[in-house]
Amino acid sequence: MKNIFQPARGTLLPVLLFVFLAVSLMFIDHRSRNLEPLRVGISVLIAPLRQLVSLPPQAGAWVLQWFQTQQSLIDENEALRDRERLLNARLQKMAVLSAENARLRSLLGSARKVADTVIVAELLRVDQNPYRQLILLNKGSLDGLREGQAVIDDFGIMGQIIHVTPNSATVKLISDPEHAIPVQFVRGGARSVAFGNGSTDELELRFLPATADIEPGDELVSSGLGGRFPAGYPVATIVSVELDEIQGFKSARARPRARLDRSREVLVIKTPVAPLPSEQPREGSAPAPETDTDATQEPAR
Amino acid sequence: MNPLGLLVILLSLAVSLMLTMLPLPDWAAIYRPDFMALVLIYWSLALPTRIGLWVAFVCGLFVDVTSGGLLGQHALALVVILFINLNVHQRIRVMSLPHQALYVLALLLLDQVLVLMVEGMIGRHPPFTAYIGAPLIGMLLWPWIFLLLRHLRRRVHLA
Repeated sequence: MKNIFQPARGTLLPVLLFVFLAVSLMFIDHRSRNLEPLRVGISVLIAPLRQLVSLPPQAGAWVLQWFQTQQSLIDENEALRDRERLLNARLQKMAVLSAENARLRSLLGSARKVADTVIVAELLRVDQNPYRQLILLNKGSLDGLREGQAVIDDFGIMGQIIHVTPNSATVKLISDPEHAIPVQFVRGGARSVAFGNGSTDELELRFLPATADIEPGDELVSSGLGGRFPAGYPVATIVSVELDEIQGFKSARARPRARLDRSREVLVIKTPVAPLPSEQPREGSAPAPETDTDATQEPAR
Repeated sequence: MNPLGLLVILLSLAVSLMLTMLPLPDWAAIYRPDFMALVLIYWSLALPTRIGLWVAFVCGLFVDVTSGGLLGQHALALVVILFINLNVHQRIRVMSLPHQALYVLALLLLDQVLVLMVEGMIGRHPPFTAYIGAPLIGMLLWPWIFLLLRHLRRRVHLA
């Protein structure tokens, strides 16, 4: 007779199998990009849940819009008109300057910088891992987003795309502790690398030469080295500089220009991206960033 | 298993996944309990022969994709705590709710340690409060989750 009081033990073999499977998945996912299809598949399955979760904040915004008075709309319209006038005035100067820039560049024989095409995307209001700085966009590979493309808001660079599914994309912000962006000082032109440290209002610059001429208030732009980020976009402003007397290095803290925690709408820059280091051997020689022309069309907005 | 019962199980798992990605302010996000673990512990206590390790593994992969971590991180943790749960479920079932909650705290702590250990190994060091806070809140939530899911389970006659 079977003893009904015998505990129904989970046997050890299956659990070891699953643990082994999980550990190898983690290992592969950490070292290579071969698991992207699995990630995309699951991501597509949970897409409806994501939409559902991000619905209440969106609905809140709609209701607010509904109850906006005519007067507040008129005021806002007025303010926007003023702003547009101001920007147009600046643009006039820009046109002259960029023509001059192109002329000088052609005199020097260097390539002319093409204007970047962009895609407008919106943030999905869902939380991810609290120890990483990731955001989710509501557009994906169907809209032309690719891994590695730079994401900006109207103040500066926000981050880069790390995962793409057909209709969503994950962006790693420049403040993620694993992220580093090559930058250049506007004043002086010195180059460095800005590391994220996990808080949305701080970047770190380490191991600057002790003689470097850096002051709080200096502007940092992307240097374009590495081929990930297009050159010349604002990244951060230096907040404080410290000199490590013992090691003989300066380190600096900077505040990102982009509003990493507040922007609702972002722009994805569609310039071709240099392949990731892990992809390079497969593709033979890496193509230069300028030669690839897969830009399709300007988005309608 | 009757189709209605299956629907209830899938629905509870989907809701726990949604709670996992519900937007919270930054300071509160690290205290979010592992809802998927809580729901899986309940179902594996109630239906130990049907909710096995592979369910935990698949659910773990779903949590990994929603949280943007490494694939396998939560899958590993959930498989391990469900294995323990499967071995002792008969003793846990007859405990009072407060005692059960303490047991759940132990499982959630193990779950948290396994997840954050991987996090630490690839270079991010979570603050110490992260280890303690979320499992404690999960423990406080356990009685309510237990009562709610038991009510649902009895309504759809899942044995």
